[in-house]
Amino acid sequence: MQKVITVSLNGNAYQLDEDAYAALSAYLDQSARALAANPDSAEIIADLEQAIGEKCTRYLNPHKTVVTGAELRLIIAEMGPVDGDGAGSSASAGAQTGSAAPGAPGVSSPRRLYQISEGAVFSGVCNGIAAYGAVDVTLVRAIFVAAFLFTGGLALLAYVVLMFILPYASTSEEHAAAHGVPFNARTLVERAKEKYAQFAQGQEWRGSRAQWRSEWRRVRAEWRFERRRLRDQWRAHWRYGAAPGGPQPTPAGAPPPPGRYFAHIFSGTLMAVLGLVFAIVTIAWLLALLSLVTTGALLGWSLPQGIPFWAALIGLLLLYNAVIWPIRAMRRASYYSVGAYHGAWIEAWNGIIGLAVLIALVWYGLHHLPEVETLLDQLTHWWRANVGPSRGDWT
Amino acid sequence: MPLDEKFSPIRKGLLEFLVLRIVSGATVYVPDILKRLAHTEFATQEGTLYPLLSKLRREGLVDYVWQESDSGPPRKYYRLTESGRTHLAELDAYWALINQTISSLGS
Repeated sequence: MQKVITVSLNGNAYQLDEDAYAALSAYLDQSARALAANPDSAEIIADLEQAIGEKCTRYLNPHKTVVTGAELRLIIAEMGPVDGDGAGSSASAGAQTGSAAPGAPGVSSPRRLYQISEGAVFSGVCNGIAAYGAVDVTLVRAIFVAAFLFTGGLALLAYVVLMFILPYASTSEEHAAAHGVPFNARTLVERAKEKYAQFAQGQEWRGSRAQWRSEWRRVRAEWRFERRRLRDQWRAHWRYGAAPGGPQPTPAGAPPPPGRYFAHIFSGTLMAVLGLVFAIVTIAWLLALLSLVTTGALLGWSLPQGIPFWAALIGLLLLYNAVIWPIRAMRRASYYSVGAYHGAWIEAWNGIIGLAVLIALVWYGLHHLPEVETLLDQLTHWWRANVGPSRGDWT
Repeated sequence: MPLDEKFSPIRKGLLEFLVLRIVSGATVYVPDILKRLAHTEFATQEGTLYPLLSKLRREGLVDYVWQESDSGPPRKYYRLTESGRTHLAELDAYWALINQTISSLGS
């Protein structure tokens, strides 16, 4: 479902979807800027609006009353960038007509690889890759785990390298670039920045600082909305296939169907149990970390020759994340399902798969790598020596 | 360098001349002007044409009349003014001179 915005183009009403509206306002803004020095700018803009309106009618009929973003972008490409100096000095070449004009907004937007820390499991490398490729982050993580298994840890090295090389996306602009966000959102941000520059120079901007701030907030809100919409769209596409009439995710807050009552109870219990497991693992990890830092040994098990302290630290960190990831995924899933989130079971499934992978890894290690067996032995010894006796008959 | 690109400044400079010629024939609506130019070397777009017409109007070479349309708002139809006609005659003469120079050079 798309919201429809009614606009007046030189005195006539047209209905645009939000995408089309953003494209149109970006084009008209750009035109107004190009014509800033032209004494007839208002009249030219009116002429352009009328021309756009007439082109819109080509796409409208009694059974289709809304102009879409794709159609409007075609129209804008046809209109061409507005010639600023009005002397006709940039009459475009014949070859350019019909194709996307270079000045038209949003023909391309740069896409860069960043780390994205929001919602990251470890450092945000997979998150950034997912944003770059516009695929789901779970898929990227699964591929990464598979790569780790097949390359015998080489993928892990690649991860660590990327972790240190890739910058974090911290500003809105960087986020836009990380997602290769569509033109309109980008243009919004750019427009706001430009307005700020004007304000800073005290030239064009007639408003007050507060006015600018509220404008900036509005732009950011629009941009966030756009990102969320894209993400939801993508999720819907991923989960239910590309069928345009396919079911859409229930918006949060909608009453859950009655059949999900037991699911709620189950996920509530699951959440509590997982929370406990999460806490135990975290405490064990903290203890191990503490013993490593203070004694230079892992819970009484001294580091083997050739493994430096920092490697053990990183290894411990990675191990913790490997263990915690499926647990966290499952907890999130049960949380969302309590909160009436439609795709929760998919995430729960992800968590189960993650857990299975982890168990398989441990099993493989126990049976094929003597070091792991030694480690386990050492751990048991340490447990007996330090914790066991105080708990009585644990052994 | 393709021909297209080599002559691009000339095409740009000539656009005004061509628009004046088209307007001199009859009162025309902007889409008609674009259509007349569309399949020539001088194909152009609204983004260029509207600012150019506005400049010509400021210089008093063209003006427009409003005409009702059966679909939508009234439309501007452009036509040549008296001073525009004089100017176009000068341009025509000058263009003939240029052509003469070109053909007199070389073999």
